Amino acid sequence: MMNGKDKATVTAPTAEDIRALVQPNRVHRRAYADPAVFELEMERIFSRLWIYVAHESQLKKSGDFVRTRLAHHEVLVTRSDDGRINVLRNRCPHRGARLCMSERGTSRLFSCPYHAWVFRPDGSLSSVPHRKSYPAEFDLNDPLNQMQRFEQIAVYRGFVFATLNPNPEPLTTHLGEMTDVIDNLVDRAPDGEIEMADSSFSMEYRGNWKLHMENANDIFHPSFVHSSSVMPARRAPANASILDQDQTREMLMANGFGYEEWEGIQLNGLAAGHTYMTNFYNKGVLSNQQTDPVIARYRAALAARLGEDKANAVLGMNRFNNIIYPNLIINAQYQQMRVVTPLGVDRSLVRIFCFRLKGAPDEMFHRSIRFLTTLGSPASMILSDDVEMLERCQQGLERDDGPWVDFSRGLGGDRAEAAGAVSGLASEMPMRVQFQAWVNYLTAEAA
Amino acid sequence: MLDYQTQRRIESFLHDEAKLLDGGDFEGWLKLYEPQGIYWMPSQPGQTDPLNVASIVYEDHGILSIRVQRLLEERALVLTPMPRTTHLVSNIEAQSGEDGDYTVQAAFVCIEHQADKQRIYSGRHTYHLALADDSFRIRLKRVDLVNCDGTHVPMAIPL
Repeated sequence: MMNGKDKATVTAPTAEDIRALVQPNRVHRRAYADPAVFELEMERIFSRLWIYVAHESQLKKSGDFVRTRLAHHEVLVTRSDDGRINVLRNRCPHRGARLCMSERGTSRLFSCPYHAWVFRPDGSLSSVPHRKSYPAEFDLNDPLNQMQRFEQIAVYRGFVFATLNPNPEPLTTHLGEMTDVIDNLVDRAPDGEIEMADSSFSMEYRGNWKLHMENANDIFHPSFVHSSSVMPARRAPANASILDQDQTREMLMANGFGYEEWEGIQLNGLAAGHTYMTNFYNKGVLSNQQTDPVIARYRAALAARLGEDKANAVLGMNRFNNIIYPNLIINAQYQQMRVVTPLGVDRSLVRIFCFRLKGAPDEMFHRSIRFLTTLGSPASMILSDDVEMLERCQQGLERDDGPWVDFSRGLGGDRAEAAGAVSGLASEMPMRVQFQAWVNYLTAEAA
Repeated sequence: MLDYQTQRRIESFLHDEAKLLDGGDFEGWLKLYEPQGIYWMPSQPGQTDPLNVASIVYEDHGILSIRVQRLLEERALVLTPMPRTTHLVSNIEAQSGEDGDYTVQAAFVCIEHQADKQRIYSGRHTYHLALADDSFRIRLKRVDLVNCDGTHVPMAIPL
């Protein structure tokens, strides 16, 4: 499951090599297709930056765990008896076998099925069978006999991040003003708490991880890539479905961008590589209308907790595809989250989640679930076409003919503001911002 | 146990459905559904709740018709080139249910070939069929993929 390549066989590109790959208006195909560049990304981006690993609602009681990935490692994120969150390598230190094969669950102990070394949820070794056959100096408390721990863990309002970097900057420094979108997601819950839904989707595509992050920034493509669902949705009668108050049809139609959307959607990019845009779902049940009885009940519940003004401010924040560099995408207003995990230079895993707003009407959660299915299911009429396009890009970029990818749209038209760059006009500014951050991270020598 | 003739008619109905899908006659396939008929592909084994648990597909006629139009007319990217499929249904067990309905269980395999890719889907179908005017209509078709909660690649052709 993990990338098994031996890192030592690849010569690392120099800072000069990396800088040469990114020009103001274009990027070299090696950024997407060169295994040596990918290894450097794993070392300097996915091992050094804060990476989302779990949500606290998955780790409510001791023994709760989630299996996920951190850089090249498969890890278990656990809650131990002392109440702490632990990030442990999912590997028995005895013979190296993977320990836990479940995606998530609750377990008092993690037992290796090979020779029955048994570990506690904090990674400590609880017991080995036939203790006396091990040497006298064999010590259960020796860290080498325990599950390997990754110590750098930080939580922002329930979102658990970890890093292999021994000296990371504070998580809130890395997040910068992207804390706003996490705040907004949590603040939308009338009870002040969100809970990750039990169901989610996992999709794998044959393409570089950055292709997905760029696509999530790209407001030019939907009119073309998604026309096969926009056109039939436009022709379909309103409210023909009895299941979803027309949500699916509205979502499909919303990808029918024209000049108005291209010019009107504002794009924002921050120096750390984070980006977001203004929203474009402005019709139907997703548009937060006062006339919608579900929204009215929800607003009232939220206002009872926050007061009218604060509730209006929270619901008024409508930023779409908030990308926290390198690989986390949050849509607070629909309680959606995506995590893109690189598996190899040309293989990526996309996991798509949603949250329940505690204290909100059940119908709000049903809409989030419907959003998850419509946009994130493997049978999605939207995502499936995106993935096809990402794979075609990778197929083209793997061949060494025509080495440059063009990112010039909007160049020169971006406005610099205090926090970063701002643009309308379907600019490719967000991709340029991501690549500038990418160069900065990859060329930084020491952690 | 149903009488032999009813059992045979139900089997034929399922075989005809598979043939419509293999032949790319998705409009014909949609006509097998009642106007309120539902196509449901859960994302979890044994899933009972389509509202609080995400489904791979949970669509009634109104949304399915958009899906079918997309397959037929607009040349979706994921359908270039158009996949070719073999839908197999077997182990068909039918029972009569309430209000003249029939409940049908079957195992399925679908091989999908597209350009340089070949994919295999398998699992179980559960149908609620209504008999009206001497022909069956689908009230509910539930598709339980063996890998419903696994890691997926994009799916386009109904199973």
